[in-house]
This record gives sequence, structure tokens and C-alpha cells, in this order.
Amino acid sequence: MVTFTLNGAKFTADVAIDTPLIDIIRDHAKMTGTKQACGSGVCGACTVQVDGHAVVSCLMPVAHVDGKTVVTVEGLGRGAFARDDLHPVQKAFMAHDALQCGFCTPGFVVAASAFHDGWRAEHGTATPSEADIAAALSGHLCRCGAYPGIYRAVAAACEGRHDGAPHESPRYEARDKVTGAAKFTVDKFQEGQLYGLVLRSPHGHADVTSIDVSPALAVAGVKAAVSMLGNDKTVRHVGQAVAAVAAVDRAAAEKGIAAIRVAYKTKPVVTSARAARSKDSPRLYSGFIKNAANSAEGPVLPLPWSGNMRGPAAAFSLAQSRAKKDLAAAATRGDPLLVTGIFINAGQSHTCLEPHAAVIDHQGHKIVAHLSSQAIQFAAGQIAKKAGVKDVTGYAEHVGGGFGSKVSFGIEGQVALALSKAAGKPVRIAYDRAEELSVAGHRPETEIEIKLLATKDCKLDALSVRTHSNAGVAVNSTVSGLARLVYTAGSKELMDWDVVTNTPPGSPFRAPGGPPLCFALEQAIDEAAVKLATDPIALRQKWDEDVNRQRLYTWAKGLDVWRQRGDAGRESGRYRRGIGVAAGNWLYFVQGNTEVEIGIRGGKLFIACAAQDIGQGARTILAGTVAEAFSVPASSVEVDMGRSDLPQGPMAAGSRSTASIVPAALAASEMLKSRLRPGPRGTVGDNVPWPDLIAASGDLRIKTGRPPDSTVINPEVPNPLKAVGFIGTAFDWMLRNFAHIDTGRGVAGAVQIADVEVDTWLGKTRVRNFYSGLTVGKPRARRLAENQAEGSIIQGIGYALYEAREYDPVNGNVLSSGLDDYRIPGIGDTPEMHIHFDEKGFEHVPGGAVGIGEIATLPVAAAIANAIFNATGVRSYEAPIRPDRLLAGLARHNATGLASTRRA
Amino acid sequence: MTLQSDMTPEWLAGGTDLMERRRTGLSRGVVKVLPQDARVGAIAWRADGGATIGAGVTVAALAADPRIAVAYPGLGQAAAGLATPEIRHVATLGGNIAQRSRCWYYRSPDIACLKKGGTTCPARAGNHLYGVAFDLGPCVAPHPSTLATALLAYNAGVTTTTRTRATLADILGDGTDGRRDHQLTPDELIIEITLPSPLAGEQGHYKRAIGRAEAEWPLVELVTCLWIEGGLVRQARIAAGGIAPIPIRLTAAEAVLTGASMSALPIADARRQAVVGAKPLPMTGYKLELLSGLLADALETLAKGARSKA
Repeated sequence: MVTFTLNGAKFTADVAIDTPLIDIIRDHAKMTGTKQACGSGVCGACTVQVDGHAVVSCLMPVAHVDGKTVVTVEGLGRGAFARDDLHPVQKAFMAHDALQCGFCTPGFVVAASAFHDGWRAEHGTATPSEADIAAALSGHLCRCGAYPGIYRAVAAACEGRHDGAPHESPRYEARDKVTGAAKFTVDKFQEGQLYGLVLRSPHGHADVTSIDVSPALAVAGVKAAVSMLGNDKTVRHVGQAVAAVAAVDRAAAEKGIAAIRVAYKTKPVVTSARAARSKDSPRLYSGFIKNAANSAEGPVLPLPWSGNMRGPAAAFSLAQSRAKKDLAAAATRGDPLLVTGIFINAGQSHTCLEPHAAVIDHQGHKIVAHLSSQAIQFAAGQIAKKAGVKDVTGYAEHVGGGFGSKVSFGIEGQVALALSKAAGKPVRIAYDRAEELSVAGHRPETEIEIKLLATKDCKLDALSVRTHSNAGVAVNSTVSGLARLVYTAGSKELMDWDVVTNTPPGSPFRAPGGPPLCFALEQAIDEAAVKLATDPIALRQKWDEDVNRQRLYTWAKGLDVWRQRGDAGRESGRYRRGIGVAAGNWLYFVQGNTEVEIGIRGGKLFIACAAQDIGQGARTILAGTVAEAFSVPASSVEVDMGRSDLPQGPMAAGSRSTASIVPAALAASEMLKSRLRPGPRGTVGDNVPWPDLIAASGDLRIKTGRPPDSTVINPEVPNPLKAVGFIGTAFDWMLRNFAHIDTGRGVAGAVQIADVEVDTWLGKTRVRNFYSGLTVGKPRARRLAENQAEGSIIQGIGYALYEAREYDPVNGNVLSSGLDDYRIPGIGDTPEMHIHFDEKGFEHVPGGAVGIGEIATLPVAAAIANAIFNATGVRSYEAPIRPDRLLAGLARHNATGLASTRRA
Repeated sequence: MTLQSDMTPEWLAGGTDLMERRRTGLSRGVVKVLPQDARVGAIAWRADGGATIGAGVTVAALAADPRIAVAYPGLGQAAAGLATPEIRHVATLGGNIAQRSRCWYYRSPDIACLKKGGTTCPARAGNHLYGVAFDLGPCVAPHPSTLATALLAYNAGVTTTTRTRATLADILGDGTDGRRDHQLTPDELIIEITLPSPLAGEQGHYKRAIGRAEAEWPLVELVTCLWIEGGLVRQARIAAGGIAPIPIRLTAAEAVLTGASMSALPIADARRQAVVGAKPLPMTGYKLELLSGLLADALETLAKGARSKA
């Protein structure tokens, strides 16, 4: 029997002494503000205060809090510093928008409050340094990368600037996120809900010769057991879902899983792309039709297979045979202006802090599904199709990170659906961290061979990009093809192959294919600039015809940090500074069939759309757009979102949300205005303020679709896909028809500059400053846009320096399956960031704004790699640029003067 | 589908390692509450000036103790440099020494390994990116204890329920027993740590090599203690972690530093000697460069400190 004070009330639990405190808080006390994300004390999402000290409740045995005082995020507003039921740190997080998706926020807020209270007791209202704050919050991870706001929020709270201040926020739902009130899918509990667990293949490759789930049903507490194998009885990676059980609690579910009998006939395993490409390699798929999963958002085109290789897809090439010929001739004659290199990028895990999760209640004639989803309406449609049930409602009120991995209706949902149908009760599936980091998707690993030939008069003559992508058992990665849309060249050979291996399937991740292409192409351009002895920005300005990026190049060239940049490899001390540049482009996507409903409900404005807020601010943008139209505060507008039965919303994918919902909301606002004030100007009542008209109005609702972009404004701006001819037009058509996405006119652009310091003794790179110039139109919610742009840089830093999926080479187990081995950036890794929005270029889009999330992360790793070259003279051919690789490159540099981090 | 559960009964200290292993199903033995004498959370100072530290002292308390910072700076810095504030607040000295391996094969409940009753080390032929560079035994996982590394540098004695002032080598073994992370018997408990009385004029330094800024298991870590008298190194004690199955002393590097002048430390020679005896694996050669870099960093920092005092 353990007794302690929980948020001011006495709480008693009769449980085993090693029961984790978090289980008591969430399952017994039903307080869901405290989140479980890693289960190993690395991420801090489960942090609570015990006698005023921050501790991780996932590792805290409940016996250790006997007689003590425990405060969770729900209880922070009762402390000595609190006013208006909020701690100053909570108000500061709101004011400085120190959050995005909000899943890690309770942990950050609880720890920062403990730090704040201690700081104030010792230092009064002095300002803590960034180093103080980073040290105090080093046990916390935010995958959205809201760290700059967190620094500012904690410092401001410690200075006493939020003691009594009103709690305002540029983010609509911030208060719910800092108080733990926001309910994510993992927080959904309902009467009779069962605990679901998945049985996964322990083998990298095997035929399932028999499976019997019935013994599981004999286990006490188990209510359903299902096989998850379809017609294909072959498992092709460790961790592939084989069967699942639903039971009254976790312990019973575990026993049920252990009771399932599966017989496997193992087959040879191939885990690396290099080995899988050999003609002697074991094959994953046989027969004419290959049922490989799709790792991309676009449709899977019919392409030839050879062994484990699919492709090449080469349709985006331009004068391909000429490119081949010119490059071969240049190699033969030893052309000094020929740049060649093979660039390797590790797989990158999305690492959503809210794991993939589903709570599904299959009631026979009707299904209610809570899904951690970026596409709730699409997912509800998938459920209806799979289950053959028309009445399906999907909910995704708050989504704890997605980054592309939660676009499809995933295995977790399919399992929950099957189990709920079998059990006749709601079933919850929430991946643990090992599942999340293994089988919940990742950016495919790539090997990119690049050849680039410049002419003496500084023209780009020929470019060849040949990419082999390893998306595990999945296919359809496009990297090389994207190079058609950037830099004008006489000829381009652009070829993409998939190589399948016995590892888990990849999935779309923030600008799919973009960052790896940039890592290779932008370093090759950098090399070309060295060979041509020209400024790398000036060279890009010559080769890049995009008018938007031209303005960004001019901006970048004018920055002090660029003008003061020295030559590569000039430094010889232990610490070496370097500055690097990289550029990128991304299509402007929109979901043309988006609709919104606007209206007045009980005297208040509301707007409804089946969009979902994954942290990017869709809720804020909808409320803000309506509020601006009616000159009312955003908080007075009710927003209905994250529900499938609302008007057609966009998926939160392809950076399309803002550009899809804003024009619809603007059009709807105008319609509502003319309804409220029907008379022409000068008639009686035309000067009555909108709030009065709204308050006086009866309930009404108007639904309207997203209007098309203006054809009158910026008529010269082309649709970039259509501009490349037939193949582009065909691709555009396929995207619209198979991926529900339209490409608009104009491209989003980025030009970025990294300022790094390399510790040549310990192989460590620190990004000191990062400058991000973006053409994404005029941001609709400036602070949120900045926040998203900053977070994109943080994720890019992880891609450049730290993050790599690591596998067992024998069986293909994902070894980087915990957050201590899969290393995402922490608050201490945050550089000083400078975001520059060039607002021109998208005036033809109603509202003037396009998406930010993808373009802002594309060139980051390339800019860092180019900065490392500038600092050390070492070219980085492998990402992440870990200490071991950098040290090896430096050793070769010292030995030969010619260096790279290429594998020997 | 847990295949490799360890059913051995285990003591519950701070719980930061055990609780994770129980959650994943790696460890499923009976959990035993510590007896009172193993819970001592106090630092006692003896008449000879040395400290005796209860096994229950938290890492945070060690890191924050001003007398430890002066008498055993390498230990205080090591405590402050490990894990996160949340972990340091509850993790104990005894628990830190007796924690289990961080090897990703060991931590995976589905893979057999020597530490889970298996017959081979899967990391040796597999992916040992974070493995040892001093290959002393069949298991290639480095020892996880930062505090054990610091205590080795300070020649600490370990008193358990059955031993008095045992050496760290007694407690952790010689690195050849791949089945175990320590040589404590299942019922044996660490009670206290005895540190020799500090030497006047001794300087200490701790640093870990990691990829990110904070909160990462060390690729390599180093505790460097120099006893300086009259501008000369009277004694050097250097212990490295993250690089061998047990914390190791860099005796060859210590030898070239002993007797050297602080104003002209033979850093290059010490760096060469630091890696004497190393046997890196195919993927761990970089750890020797990190070890060498860490030693140079420590010696430069200590020399600078000596200059500013002079």
C-alpha cells in the first residue's frame, strides 16, 4: 500500500512496489497530461515533480513516492507562483509559442517550472543563461524542435515577466497543451476498452507454415485474437505484424501473445542494399506481381524488376543520352571541371513523440475511431472500405507529431479495427518506443551517385543523379527525379532505383526524397564552385532560374556571415569555423477539393473543416483568418477540426494545409459577411460593427469550397510540373487522381546558410548560427511560421549530424530502437536561428501563403556539410556526419590533403 | 514475444535502470527492497580527510557536494556529467556501479546474447558501432558506469554486504567474463565507497566524447587526476570508460606524465601511450582517436588551470 499526495489530494494505491508511477497517474488517477513516450527516461515527456524536484515517472517505482508530494502538469497551477490557475512557466510557454504538437509540452513545462522555482529562490529575477536552461532541460526532447521558444519562455518566466501577466498565445489551443488538458489518441479511455498488443515476427525472412491464435483465447482476460497475415504468408522483416490480441489489461495481453502458436520456415535474409543488389542475393519478392508496400505519397508506377531492384524510373531525365555521353567523355579526358561523388544517407526515423496509436470501437453497424493521424478523413474512408461499414467517424483532435509517417491508415489502426470487430469492444493500440522506432516508418536510406559537368564559361552542361533507395520491404522512393525541377542544365540523366531488403518499410518523411538529394547535389554544386573558383552563391544564382530564389540569393550574399567567410581549409587549430550555403525547392501543393463551413452558433462565429493540427497551426490559421475578416479576437472563433464528418479537409501532408484551408476560409468569410450585411454601402446598418451583427444573428451556416488560384495575378509564374512537358503533366495528373494533391503555380524556395564550429579532436560539429531564407509567400501566423521553420532546421541538424537507423546485419533487427540509441537533437544542439521570409511570389494564392514544413528542412543538412567543408577541407559523403566519420576524414585530410568521409 | 527474460531476483535502488528493463520484459525476477544499511544516503568525512560515501547517495547529491568538488573533482564532475537532471536526482551511487549494459543487443528482449544466457556475442559479428576498442573478452559492450570510471581513477574501495574495501577490479572483474557486468553475487549489495584521503594539490578533470551537446551515453569518457607539487606531476591517475568491458586505467600514459613539468606536459607522447594495448573492432577504431583527443583536452585544461593559479 502506497500513499502520497497527488496534486494536493491524498492518493492511495495497492500495487506492486515496482509499479511505475506513470501507470498510477494515468491508469489509476486518470490524469493523462503526463505522457509516456520513450519509457527509458530519455525524452522527459512523463516528467512530474516529487517534493518539488523533476523526475521521470516512467522509471519511478511507486514505492519511492510513499509519503511524498507528487505534482503533475494538471497540478502546476496550484503552486506558490501560480495565478489564474497557471504557473508563470505555462503562461510563458503560451506567450512565446514554445510548442508545436504539444505532446512533449507537459514534461517540459513541469521540469521548467521546477527549474524556475529553484532559480527564483536562489537568483530572484535574474536571467538564466541559455546554457543554464539547456542543462536543466537536457532530459527533454521535442521532435517538432520548438527549442528557441522554450529558451525564451523559460528565461522570461525566470525574470518574473509572466508572474501576473494575462495568458495569451499566438497559438489557438496553447492553453490546452500547457495544462495537459489536450487529449491525444493515446489519452482516450472509455468504459470496457481493451488493451491490444501485436505479435511480431522474430525472423527477418520466413514463410509462416501455420498459425493458431486460438490458444490465446483460452488465456484469462483475452477477449480477441486475430491473425494479421493476409494472403501473403511470407514475413519479410523482423517486427512484421503476424497476429494480435486484445485483453482486459497489458498482463493478460502479454500472456495471450505468448500463447499464439506460429510455425516459421526461415529463408535467407538480406539486410543491406549493397548485398541486395548482388545477383546472388536472396530475393524478397517473386512472381510477376510484387506486393511491395508503397513508401511514398504518389502512385506506384509499373516499373521493371531485376532481382531485388525495381527501376530505373528515369522519366524526368532531359536529353539523357547526351548527358551520359558528355559525362563519359569528360571522365575520359580527365576534365578538371567534372565533379563526381557517391553520397550515402542513413535512414531517418520520424520519431513522433506520440506513438502511432488507434482506439477503435467497432459497434457492428457503426465505427468510432480515434487515430493519431495526419489524414483523419482519408483514414475514416479506409476503415469504411475495409470494414464494409458506412457509418464511420474518425477523430484526431490533437496529433503528437506525424512528419509524414501518419498519412496512411497504418497497421496500428488495422490491428485495432480487426480486434475491435472480433471483441465487440473498443480496442486501444499504442506502439511502444521500440515499435515506433522500428516499424512505424522512416525516410529511406539512399546511395546517390552524382556527376556534374560545368563548362569553363560557367554553364552547367550535364548532370547525372543515380539513386538507389533502400526503403526496406517497400518501394517507390523518388530522389533523382526531383533534380529535374532545380538548376538549368543542358542535359540531365536522372535515375531512381528501389532496392528491397529484409528491413521494415520506409514511408514519406518531410519532403520525401528532398533532403538526400540536396545533401548530394548541393555538395556537388559546392565542389563545382571550388573548381570554377567562384562564389557558391553566385554560381547558384547563375544556374538557378527561379525568380523567387534569385531574391533569396541576393539576401544571402548580403549577410555579414557570408561576406566575412574565408577559404576552405584555411584553419588549422583544434576548433575550426566554417560557413556553408545550400538551396532547395519544393512544389507548392494544395488539396483543391477542400471545403469549409462557416457560420454562427449561439451568437458566436465558428468555422469547421476536417483538417488536422499536427503542430503546424492549422487551428490557429483557420481561427485567425476568420477573426481577421471580422475584426474579432481569434479566441472568439470556435474551430471544429480533426473530425472526419466535417466538410472535406486536406491531409496534413505535402505542406498543403495552409494553402488549402486559407483560401476556403477567406471565401467563406466573405459569403458570411454578405449574409450578415446584405445591403449595399450607405444603407442603414452598414456601420454596425461585425461583433454586434454576429451576436444578434440567429444560427446559420454556409459551406463553400476552396476557390482556384487567381489566373490574373502573376500570370507569368508557371506550374513547375507542367513546365517540364508531357511527363510533368502526366505526373501532375496522377498526383491529383491517386494522391488527392494538386500542384499549383510557383515553387517554394529556400536558401540557407550554416555557421558551424568543428572540434577536430573530438570530431564534433556544433551549428552556431543558421540563416534560413524562405519564399513561402506571406506567413498567415508569423510566430507559428517561424516556429515551424525553426523546427525544420532542428530536424535537418539531426539528419546532418546525429540520426541513423542502425540494423543488425544478420537478421535486420532495428538496433536503434530506443531514444538513447536513436539520437535526435536536444535543446543544447539548437543554434541561433535567423528566419527570413521573403513574402513575394504567391500573390496569386488567396491569402498569399503556401506551406513551410518541407521546404524549410530540405537544404539544412547540405548547408551544414558545406560549412564543415569550409571549416576543415573535408567533404562529407556520408550522413550523419558523426564523430567517427569526421575524424576519419580529417585523418585522410592530414595524410593527403585530399579528404572525404567516404568509406574506404 | 519476449524470448530472453532474466528471472534473477534483483535489488531496487533508484530504479532508473531496473525499471526500464522490467518494462521491456528483459528482467522479470523478484524485486527486493534494499535493507536499511544499503540505503545510506550520506557522505561522511573521516579523520584522515577522506570521504566514505553511502551507496544510497544520489548522483545529484554527489554532483552538488562542494567538499567532493574540492577533494575529488574528477568524481564530482563525472557525477554532474552523466545522464539528465531527472535521472541524477534519483539514481544512486550503488546503482550506477551495479547497472547493466547499454548494449543494444542486450537491451533487445528478442535477441540472445552472453549476458542473457546465450553462447555468443551477436554484436561482435554484427553492429558494434558503440562497442569496445579494448577488446578484453567475448562480450564487446563497454561498461556503462561513469562513476565506476571515476572511482577507479581515485583508487576507491568498495564495501559490500560480504566484502570490505574491495577494489573495483574485484567488483567489476577483469573484463573477460562476458556474461556479467559486475561480479557481485545475487544477494550481495554495495554498502559504501571509501575514497582515500585527497592529496593536497591534486587536480581532476572529467569529460565525455559525445555527438550532441548533452545527455548522451559516452562514446568514450575520461577521468584525469594529476597530483601536482612544485609545478611537477607527482602522480597521474587516468581512467577511461566507454571503451572496454570495464573501466580501465591508462597506465602507460600515466607513466610518461609522472615527473613531467606542468608547463611542458608531454601531451603528444601521452596521447600515443593512451592507446597502448588497444584492440579495436572493425567499427570502433574511432574510439581510440577520441580517447587520445580527450586526454589532450584534459591535459591542456589542467595545464591551463595550473598556469592561472601560478
